[in-house]
This record gives sequence, C-alpha cells and structure tokens, in this order.
Amino acid sequence: MRSFTLALAFLVPAGSVFGAERPLEFNRDIRPILSDKCNRCHGPDSAAKKIPLRLDREAAAKSDLGGRRAIVEGDPAASEMIRRITAEKKAVRMPPVYSGLSLTDREIETLRTWIAQGAKWQQHWSFLPPVVPAIPPVKNPAWIRNPIDAFVAERLDREGLPPSPEASKETLLRRVSLDLTGVPATLAELDAFLNDKSPAAYERAVDRLLASPRYGERMAERWLDAARYADTNGYQFDGERVMWRWRDWVIDAFNRNERFDQFTLEQIAGDLLPNATNEQKIATGFNRNHRANTEDGIIPEEYAVEYVVDRVETTSTVFMGVTLGCARCHNHKYDPFTQKEFYQIFAYFNNVPEMGRAMKYGNSPPLVPAPTLEQQSAMQKVELHIHDTEKVLQTQAATIAESQTRWEKTLAKAEPLYWAPSAGLDVAFPFESGETVPGRIGKAASFDGTTVVEALKAGAFDIEDRFSLAAWIYSDAVPDGSIVTKMGDEPKGKGYGVHVNQGRVHVNVTNNWADDAIRLETETTLEAKRWYHIAVTYSGSRMAEGVHVYIDGKPAKVKVELDSLYRPFANAGFRFREPLRIGAGWGKDRRFHGLIDDVLVYSRVLPESEIAGLALGESLQAIAQKPAAARTAVEAAQIHSYFLENTAPAEVHAAYKRLAVLLQEKEALERTFPSVMVMDERPVRKDTFVLVRGAYNVPGEKVEPGVPAALPPLPAGAPANRLGFAKWLIEPANPLLARVTVNRFWQMYFGTGLVKTTEDFGMQGDPPSHPELLDWLATDFMGSGWDVKALQKRIVTSATYRQSSKVTPELTQRDPENRLLARGARYRLPAEMVRDQALFVAGLLVDKVGGPSVKPYQPAGLWKEINMQDGDYAPGAGEDLHRRSLYTFWKRTIAPPMMTNFDSSSREACVVRETRTNTPLQALNLMNDVSFLEAARFLGQRMLKEGGASADSRLQYGFRAVTGHLPSAAEQQILRDSLQYHLDYFSGGKGGAYLKQGVAASDPALNARELAAYSAVGSLLLNLDETVTKE
Amino acid sequence: MLTRRTFFKSSSLGIGSAALASLLAGDAQASTGLPSLPNFPAKAKRVIYLFQHGAPSQLDLFDYKPDLQKLRGAELPDSVRKGQRLTGMTAYQAKFPTAPSLFQFAQHGKSGMWLSELLPHTAKMADDICVIRSMQTEAINHDPAVTFFQTGFQIAGRPSIGAWISYGLGSIGQDLPAFVVMVSQGSGGTQALAERQWGSGFLPTKFQGVKFRSGADPVLFLSDPEGYSGTARRRFLDDLAKMNELKLQDYQDPEIATRISQYEMAYKMQSSVPELADLSKEPESTFAMYGPDSRKPGSYAANCILARRLAERGVRFIQLFHRGWDQHNNLPKEIRGQCRETDQPSAALLQDLKQRGMLDDTLVVWGGEFGRTVYSQGVLTDDNYGRDHHPRCFSLWMAGGGIKGGVTHGETDDFSYNVVRDQVEVFDLHATILHCLGVDHTKLTFKFQGRHFRLTDVHGSVIKDILV
Repeated sequence: MRSFTLALAFLVPAGSVFGAERPLEFNRDIRPILSDKCNRCHGPDSAAKKIPLRLDREAAAKSDLGGRRAIVEGDPAASEMIRRITAEKKAVRMPPVYSGLSLTDREIETLRTWIAQGAKWQQHWSFLPPVVPAIPPVKNPAWIRNPIDAFVAERLDREGLPPSPEASKETLLRRVSLDLTGVPATLAELDAFLNDKSPAAYERAVDRLLASPRYGERMAERWLDAARYADTNGYQFDGERVMWRWRDWVIDAFNRNERFDQFTLEQIAGDLLPNATNEQKIATGFNRNHRANTEDGIIPEEYAVEYVVDRVETTSTVFMGVTLGCARCHNHKYDPFTQKEFYQIFAYFNNVPEMGRAMKYGNSPPLVPAPTLEQQSAMQKVELHIHDTEKVLQTQAATIAESQTRWEKTLAKAEPLYWAPSAGLDVAFPFESGETVPGRIGKAASFDGTTVVEALKAGAFDIEDRFSLAAWIYSDAVPDGSIVTKMGDEPKGKGYGVHVNQGRVHVNVTNNWADDAIRLETETTLEAKRWYHIAVTYSGSRMAEGVHVYIDGKPAKVKVELDSLYRPFANAGFRFREPLRIGAGWGKDRRFHGLIDDVLVYSRVLPESEIAGLALGESLQAIAQKPAAARTAVEAAQIHSYFLENTAPAEVHAAYKRLAVLLQEKEALERTFPSVMVMDERPVRKDTFVLVRGAYNVPGEKVEPGVPAALPPLPAGAPANRLGFAKWLIEPANPLLARVTVNRFWQMYFGTGLVKTTEDFGMQGDPPSHPELLDWLATDFMGSGWDVKALQKRIVTSATYRQSSKVTPELTQRDPENRLLARGARYRLPAEMVRDQALFVAGLLVDKVGGPSVKPYQPAGLWKEINMQDGDYAPGAGEDLHRRSLYTFWKRTIAPPMMTNFDSSSREACVVRETRTNTPLQALNLMNDVSFLEAARFLGQRMLKEGGASADSRLQYGFRAVTGHLPSAAEQQILRDSLQYHLDYFSGGKGGAYLKQGVAASDPALNARELAAYSAVGSLLLNLDETVTKE
Repeated sequence: MLTRRTFFKSSSLGIGSAALASLLAGDAQASTGLPSLPNFPAKAKRVIYLFQHGAPSQLDLFDYKPDLQKLRGAELPDSVRKGQRLTGMTAYQAKFPTAPSLFQFAQHGKSGMWLSELLPHTAKMADDICVIRSMQTEAINHDPAVTFFQTGFQIAGRPSIGAWISYGLGSIGQDLPAFVVMVSQGSGGTQALAERQWGSGFLPTKFQGVKFRSGADPVLFLSDPEGYSGTARRRFLDDLAKMNELKLQDYQDPEIATRISQYEMAYKMQSSVPELADLSKEPESTFAMYGPDSRKPGSYAANCILARRLAERGVRFIQLFHRGWDQHNNLPKEIRGQCRETDQPSAALLQDLKQRGMLDDTLVVWGGEFGRTVYSQGVLTDDNYGRDHHPRCFSLWMAGGGIKGGVTHGETDDFSYNVVRDQVEVFDLHATILHCLGVDHTKLTFKFQGRHFRLTDVHGSVIKDILV
C-alpha cells in the first residue's frame, strides 16, 4: 500500500521541477525575480518616476550611480542590491513596504548566488529570433519518433525520469480524434484502427482526421475565443450582429490548410491586399469582432478609442504574445514598450471609417456583403439566366426594332403616354383625378399649406430597407417645405422624408434628431417658377453614403450634416405607424406651397438611368416624333421599355417579363446575403495622438504608425498602413509569431503551453519549460511554409503525445502540472467537446459545416431576467438543437450557461489561455441539462438497437461508444447492477416521464421501461469522469 | 448512503483521509480562500450588497436640498455645471431647469439623519446605517458604471468584487457557493444587466457568482428530471462514484477524486438549495416584517429574505440586483414604485439580521451605479420631472459589520451637483468593504498578463471616518 502525500505537490515551487542543480541562468532564474519584484519601479517606466536605477538593462544595472553599483559582478557583498534586499531597516529595505511586494529567502539567495557566479546577463529570450537548435542526444534513442521527443527525453534524462509507456490503441484513437476533430472515433473507425496492425496505422488515422471537415471546426473553436467572436454587440443593449460568415471563413481556412502567415496577413489586412477578394475582406472581420457600444448616452469618441485599444490588445496577444495594452496609459512597467509605441501600433488600427456608437441592431459599417458558397452559386445561376434572357432579346433586336417602328406609327392617335418602371413600385400618385390643376404631366395636386395627402400603409420602410422616392415639384417662390415624408408631423420628428429647405433638397432618415439620424442637403438651390424633378434613393445601408439625390435626373452634390443613424424606427417594442404624407410632415411650419405631380415610391433603389427616364417628362408620342438617330439614350430607353412591357410580340414580351422577374429575383437574393463587418481604410488617414493617461479626450503628441524599437524593424518597402504591419508580423525575422502560434497549438494538445503564459511572452511571462523544443517547433513551422496541418501531425505523432496519461503519486508530486511531459496529457474536455461528444455518441450530432448561429436548448427565462429586449431566448427546432457547439448563438452578456459552466471564455475580450475548473455546477449540468438527458436517451436507444441482444453486450456497446474501450469486469458489474436497478425502478409504466426530455422522438417500437433504464445508464456513462476527460 | 466521508473510508485505494482531504482542497479553494488572508481581524464575516440597478436619485432620497425649492425651474448655473460632460441624452437639451425634489424630508433617529418620505422604513433604521452622500464615479452610462462598481474597471474582463472576495476568503459554509447573486425586476425604467457583473474575469470561473433564480430550479440544472426521484439519483451517484473510483485506482489522477467530491457537493446542493429557497417554513412574522411582496417568489422582498437565509448558511458574498431605477422621464411616479418595492424589505433585512445578532458581522451595502441630475430631463412640470445620469455625486448607505450607524458622511454643493467635502470614490468603497472583511485591499492580488491586479487597481483608501 502506498501512501499519498499529494498535498505537498501543491507547495513545491516550480523551480525545483526544473532542476535546481544546474548553474543559474539569467532568463530562467533571475529575470523573473527582477521583473516581478523590482522592475515595476526599476524598469522601462522608471524615468517617469525619476528613479535613476534600472534593472531591466544590463549596462544600467551594473553602472556606477554615484559611488554605488547595484550589481558588482562576482561580488555580492559589494553589490548595493544585495545590501538593500537584505537590509533590516524598513526604510532601506527593497522592495519597499508600500509596494506590497517582498522577496522570499530563496529569491534573495538566488540573486546572491547569481552575482557570486558572475552576474551573467542574457537578452530576453522571446525578443531574439529563434534559431534551429541542435537535436540533443538522449539515453534511449529507441523512444524517439520525431525531434520533439528528443527535446523532451533530454529533459527527462536530466531529471532522471523515464517517459510513460505508449497509451493503448483505444485510448490513443479517442485522444487524437477528440484533439483533431472535437468528437471521438466511431465504433467502426475504432474497429478499423484496431484491426490495422501495420506500423503506419496510427499515421493513417491521423491523416484521415486531418482531412475531415470537422478538423477545421475544432481548430476554429479556440480561434473564436482568441478573436472574441460573438453573435451580439455586448455592452448594455447587446443587440444581435452577424459575423458568422467570418467564423465560417476561419473554419474553411483551417480546412484548406491555409499557410499560417497568410492566415495572419488576411485577418489583419486582407482588405489592403492587391485585388483583394471578397473572402480576404471577410477575413478582416477578425478585428471587428470586438464589442461595440450602442447605448444612447455614450460619448462616441470615447468608445471609438476603446475599439482601437481592443484591436491592439487582441492583435498583440494573439499574434505577438505580448501585453501591449499595459502601455496604454504609461510606458510598459516590465517590457521594453513605450506608451508612444503603443499609440504607433494604435495608429495602424485607428483609420477605420467607423462610428464610436454602433448600430443597435445588426452590423455596423464598414461591412461587405458576404454571400455563402451556396448563395454565390445561386447568384451565378440567376445571372446566367439574366444573361440568356438578355441574349434572347439581343438576337431578336432587328425584329423587335421593326415591330417597334410599326407600333410607333400607331402612337400618334393615342392619348399621351408616359413610361415609369413598374418593378418594385410601392405606390404612385399620378394626381390625374380629384382636385387637381394642370401639372407637369397631365394634372397635378396643388398645396397651399392646408392640403395634405396621406396614405397610411404606403412606404412602410425602415432604416435597413431600400427605397426610392420621386416627384415633380413647382413653386411660385423659392421651393420650401416637405415633399414626401413618412415621419411624425412635428419638428424633428422620427421617420424619413424628402423636403426642400429654402431651395435646397433636404433628405433625412431620423430616429432621434440630435444624434441618431442621417441628414443631408444639396449644394445647389432650386429656383422659383419652374418644374423640377426630384428623386431620392436609399440603399438601406444606414449611412449617408447610401442616400443619393437627383435633380432633373442628374445626381446632385450633397452636404452631409449628420451621419449617425443607428436605431430602427421600430425598436424596443415601438411600432412605427406614421402615414406617408405628400406636401406635409415635419410639422405645420414645413408644409409645401406649390404644385406636386407624379409621386412615385419604389421599394428598390432605382438606377440613374431609370431616374433619368422619369425626369424626362416627355411623352412617348413626342419621342416617337424624333427619328431614332436623333433620340437620346434616355429617350430611346423610355419608348423601348414601354414597348417591351406593353405591346411587343408575345415571345418578346414574355422574355422581357422573364427578365424583370429575374432581376427581381437577383435583388431578392442579394438581400438575403449576410454581411460581415470588416476593416477598411479612410481615404485620408486619421491623425493619431498619444492619449495622456489613456484618456480619449486628452490627446498628447501626434504619432505616426510604427513598430516597437525592441523588435525588428519594418520590412523594407512596407507600406505605412495595416498591410505593412501585417507583413512585419509574418516576417521570419519576427521572433514572436511562430513561437506564440506553436505554443498555442501545443496548449491544445497538452493543456498547458510550453510557455505556460500563452498570452504573455514578455518579462513577466513564464519562461518556456523546453526552450529548445519551442524554438525547434517554431523554426520547423516557418520552414514548412507555416503548414498548420503538418505541425499538428508532428505533435500528435510524437512519442511524447502518445504516452499513457496514467500517473503515479510520485510523479504527481514531482510534476503536478505535467510540465516535464513524463506522461500523456489528461484533463477535462473543453466545453464544446463535452456537449458535442454527448450528441455524437447519441447519434444526434448534425454534420453540417457553417451557417447562421443556432439556438439549442437553454433553460427558459435566462435572457428575460436580465436583458432589456422584449423577448426571451427562443430555442430553435430540428437540427438547430443538435449542431456542434461552436455554432451556438453567443450572446455576450448572457452566455450559453453550459459553456460558462465548463470554463469557456466569455467572449467579452480576447482569451488565449485555456483554464479548467472542477465544480458541482458541472455535475448538475451533466446530470440534469435536457441536452444531456436527451443525448442519454438516444445513447440508451442505440444500446438497445445496435448493442446486440444481451444486456451485457448492450452495456459494452454503450460503454465503448463513449470511452473507446471495453469495460473491465468490475465496471461491467457496476453497469449491470445499475441497469437492473433502473429496470426495477422504471417498472410499472414509470419510465414515461423520464423519457420526455428533449424533443427528438425515440423509436416508438421500444419498450418504455427498457428504454428508460438504458437511458439512465446512458446518463451514467455521459457523467463518467473518463467521459468528460481526455485520457 | 455514500457521502464524501464514507467514500474516503471505503475507498479501496486506502488513501489516508487527511491526505485526500487536502488533495481535494486543490480545487476546493472556493471554500478555503487564500492562506494569507485575512490580513487583520475582520469586523464582518460576510457581505450583503443590495445593488439598486439603474441609479436611484440621491436628490429624492438622501441628499436633502431645501434651498432648491426657491430655484424651481431656474436654469442650472454654468458655475455649477462647469462644462462637465453630459450624456448624449441631454447634451442637446436647450434648457437645464432646476428640479427640486417633490418629496418631503425629515430628520430621523438620534443622529437626526435627513431622509426622504419615500423611505419610511429605512428611516426607522437611521441609527444603524451610514449614508455616504459624497460618492463619485468616473462612468456616465449604465453598463460601464455598473462594471466599474462591480470590477473596479469600466471595460469588461476583470473579476467582480464578489469573485475577488470568494477567491480571497472562500466560503464560510460547506454546502453552498461562496458568492450568490439574485436579480429582481422593479416597476421603473429598466436597463440591461450582464452576467459579467458577477463574473470571475481572469480568475478561475469557480469564483464567479452563482445566480439563484426563483422557481423550480433556483440554481441552473439543480432539479432532477421528472420521473427520476432523489432515491434514484442517490443510487446513480453511488454507481458513478464506484465507476470513478475504479478509474482513480487505475489512473491515480487527483482530478478524479476532486470530481467525485464535486458530484457529492452537487447532491448536497440538490437538497440544501431547495431547503434554502423554500420560504414556506418562515413564520408569519417574517413576511409581516419584509412586507407584502415577500410572498412573491423572485421579488426583491423575497430575495431579501433569501439573502438572510444565505447569510445564515455561510455564503460569503450575497448580491441582490434590483432593476428599475433609471428614471429619465417620470421620476416621481417611478421612484414611488421602486421605493415601495425596496424600502421595507431593505430595512427589514437590517432589522432581521440585528435581531438574530448577525448585523454585527454582516456588512450591508445599498446603492446604485451613479446619481441623477438636479436639472430636469425633459419638461419640468408641477408634478413631474426626469433626471439624467449624474456621476459627479450620489448617495448610498452601508450598515453592520464594522460600520458606524447614524452617520451621514460627505457633503455636496447646493445643487447636489459636485462633492464639496469627503469625496468617496468607488475604489474607496471597495477598499472599505475589503477592510471590513479583514483584507488589506493592496494585498489581495492576482497575477494576470504579467501584472499583479487588484480590485482597487492602484487606487483606493479606506473611509476611516465611518468605521466603528
């Protein structure tokens, strides 16, 4: 019998694990002490505190400061540092009491010994480029499968520890399947693997997994944490946004095995690449995934700064592994980054044409339409049909022209005709009947300040809808007043409208006059006593750039007064029910005086050509008078369009109609395209200033974009924008990107990075446990052409990875966190995997990659209890309930509870370090969440239907499906007893209620008592420690 | 029945129970806290924080300004406003008419504390509470302001005060989490809350607040499914423990032992939490004391009773959020409603703790995220006005463990616009709460991204004047 003394394991300082007998090394043993305990004052920011001594630079630390030297090589007694850290007097002793810091005896001894050994200094390891290290000799070369193992074994040799034996084939296949695809192996895959006795069997399995589309999903899961991806904006209102096309881009990039340098480049600056594709623009959504504030009362400039800060922090954490954010308010306290350098990087990300206050719902500009592959091919199909139809019309051009000429001759006898497009016409007011006066075209309506024309339902557009408004106007004075509006009939009312403001055409789309509106006016002024044709189109972009004004068919220059529309007219339960008004709206003082004729309202954006036709104001008869050659293009189009629409020969008419339908289809399809928020550049670069103490409203010195002096310079010819920055990141000379990346992947397989502080490779970060291995992986990764799949394969085919994760008390005590890698990794699965595995073994998991986020089961009321929108979370139906967890709708302020229970990041900000806790809430979640109960029921059903005829074979089947191996005799006995207990428990028709968990229907042919009992055992299997653990 | 204790005895591994117990502590830190704490003897063992979400108006509740009546409707002088920033909601307002409170104030208790007629019950406890009139915050909008109050920082990502305390001090009892949160909905203007307000930020997630809800599942996933009894669950857990024990023998991974114990803890919660949430055994007198709402599950009053029950059962940090204080437009009407919902239960909680001898070691805090403006948002009429957000000054009260009763601390100017004496910042409040718990706020740190973070960042001083 062995006695456990595990408690001690938690008290053993990490240093001892890493071999105390070796001579002291600055980076490993000294720098962490100086950085953590001294450099907050004696570091890069010491000048600000007027402290002469710096301990972050060798020369400064060893220099003579008025007769005293902090560090005298080889002479601890003469070193002022030792005197001060060992001083009895509080006033003299370092670190000072007020700092809250103190040195342990062991740390003091370490510093003393180091000085005695000569105080050898080293540059900080992570800022030096990695060099390919020599592969070390090891005691047992037979164990080595690839160079990774040599570095691990060399270390174990030094520690006097043997590696663990290889894990069983069953364990190994489950481990690598979970690691590479996020779900375990199927039983068929397992059997095939066990039967494949060739030495290449494992490698074949790895290749199969790397080729699976699930690989990209699994890799994307952690990338979404790093990129703080979510389906809502966060902060307070937390409205929905649409970024899933970016998420799908990530999955696809991993599945295509895009080079990691390219993957980086495209996400940072894909939009700036020459001839950037839409996909490359979508990639830049990475830096738009941050939270965005939509609250009414905020000061937009303040949040505009926060977004850029978030980009700098996220980018530096993910791609550089440094905590640049610490230099926002002052020089970095530990690392060689100045505050100015922070703002130089800030400048790269500060040039996005964005608003500090984001759209309350939906995406905030800048954005791009991001059709999915299916949508793209549907679009191609429609465009092809359009092309074909147009061709039909073209090939018959001669015949059509002939019959048009014949028809034109008959025209003169008819009433004067005018043509306006009928596609997308919402409402027309020709003013040909009723109280009318002679107008521009036929008759018109006269407005004297008291008349108002209202149409309740017409023009019911909100701020994301497309529309066009057109009208003829005439006034004896300089035109003034409302033309067409759908807004509160009061000054500064809510809604949209076209007005004339002392002759200038004025358009506004207003939610709140002060700060939630688009407002613009033409530069030219209309004159009195003549007819004008006014047309306005709006693209639904919620931006002034989506508004176009035409006067007499020609685009008019406009001056934008306000461009900050962000809330729909109907929001937070408010219904917008103003009528469409002609000659009115915006209050009694703004009534139009004069004539208005032929008002047309379209639910689409009319192109300039069609607007020119409307503004022509010329009857078809008049056009027909002119010889074809004398007609303008607009005139020709007008008469031709009328002909095609109304009197062309049947076949031509049909083609024309078909074309109209197709164009409508095209438009409708376009409107279904999701958009993605992307990075974009302002035409003129926005100035960036150091912000004093980080405050948005206290600008200091103006800065130019640039990179920190402590890191390599920008590559030659790099442009002074994000693209230049991205190119700098991926330069082989950059010491950080490859190291930080391989370390994060390592963390995915071993639970902890070689550098434990995945997010911090700076002075305050942990030194790597295997520095040479890290550098070998980094250089190998770059050498392979940043081949991500090759890197994964290297790791998972190593002997290190393939070790058994069984541990002994001695080893746990020696190395509780498994930093020495004398055993395989064993830790609880990430949240997504816990759920996905349950669905997978139940046979419920839906194999569908990508698409809009879905809403699986969630306890009722969670949203309603704390949010401020009308509705509660509404779970989806059908396959939405059983998609992989990375597709679960992520509301930032109320995250999916199961994910939170299992330690997922909150998606409020970038997180790259994996953390795991072990709590009773997890136990409750696994036992009682409907998702897991439904999965248990289907696992029970699988045991019954696929597990053979006997209880034993069924139990074995279920156990094996979940764990990948057969139960031991003792385990089998417990399962057998449990099954019997539950058969008894559910006897007498008592199983019915238990089977009601979840909406997916069980096989009705199954006996309810049996199914309930097997479901309960299924639940037991899903709750096993082994099940939620990667072994 | 297999409990954690019998599991240790019966464990076929023969692990010494002491060794295993400390092994379990590896992840059971939530119930033990840091060995270095407390730094000095604590006055308070626990905190009940009654967060009034949306920002109650100091002018209508605590900050008595009789002279304002004469200035009704007068434009707020620039000399007072000093160009300080306004929210986007009133920044464009053409006029800033002074809106004195419609409510009467009177003096209460031995100290003669001035309190509004809206708080008749709180007034009875005047000698037990300390009103701070000189609070000040940096944030001007709800979300950043609540985040600032809860985490010491306006931007998301840092641990909440309850998580810090849970990390530092752990739980007092065994069967419940160290940090429990309850949310109730008031009748007034409501703003959104976010789970991050009780999140653990960069601390491990086990330190986050556990939200207790009204209804069948006071804690998410607490109830066994329909058709599955407690007996069956017990059997299930026994079988599960046996399976996991076999695993532990084979793999000897201490995490397995922790998981076994967490399932036992879950089982305990399945009985301890419903017992806790079940108010049916409370005597009539309790409901009489907490008022008519207290019979309504999920109400602020019912949550106040639960807060007392949680306190009795060893929960370290109990936080209630009552929503509905965001009164931009119809303040007089809405604040009456909010006070009806909160005044009696808040006072009852103090009284209840007191009669049980628990007020001495329970720190109670009542307050919102900022104050409200003296000028009216929207039109000022004889019986109506609104008030916009006001971070420059506001009031809250503290009582119990370590705090002097009958004290009014700090002073604002004639318009309740700026603090003129004893300004208290949010960091000072945090420092003081920690102080009452025996924690030096400069010593409760956690290293993240290379930096030793504190709840109070580099700020904060204990408000010595209000301590016993």
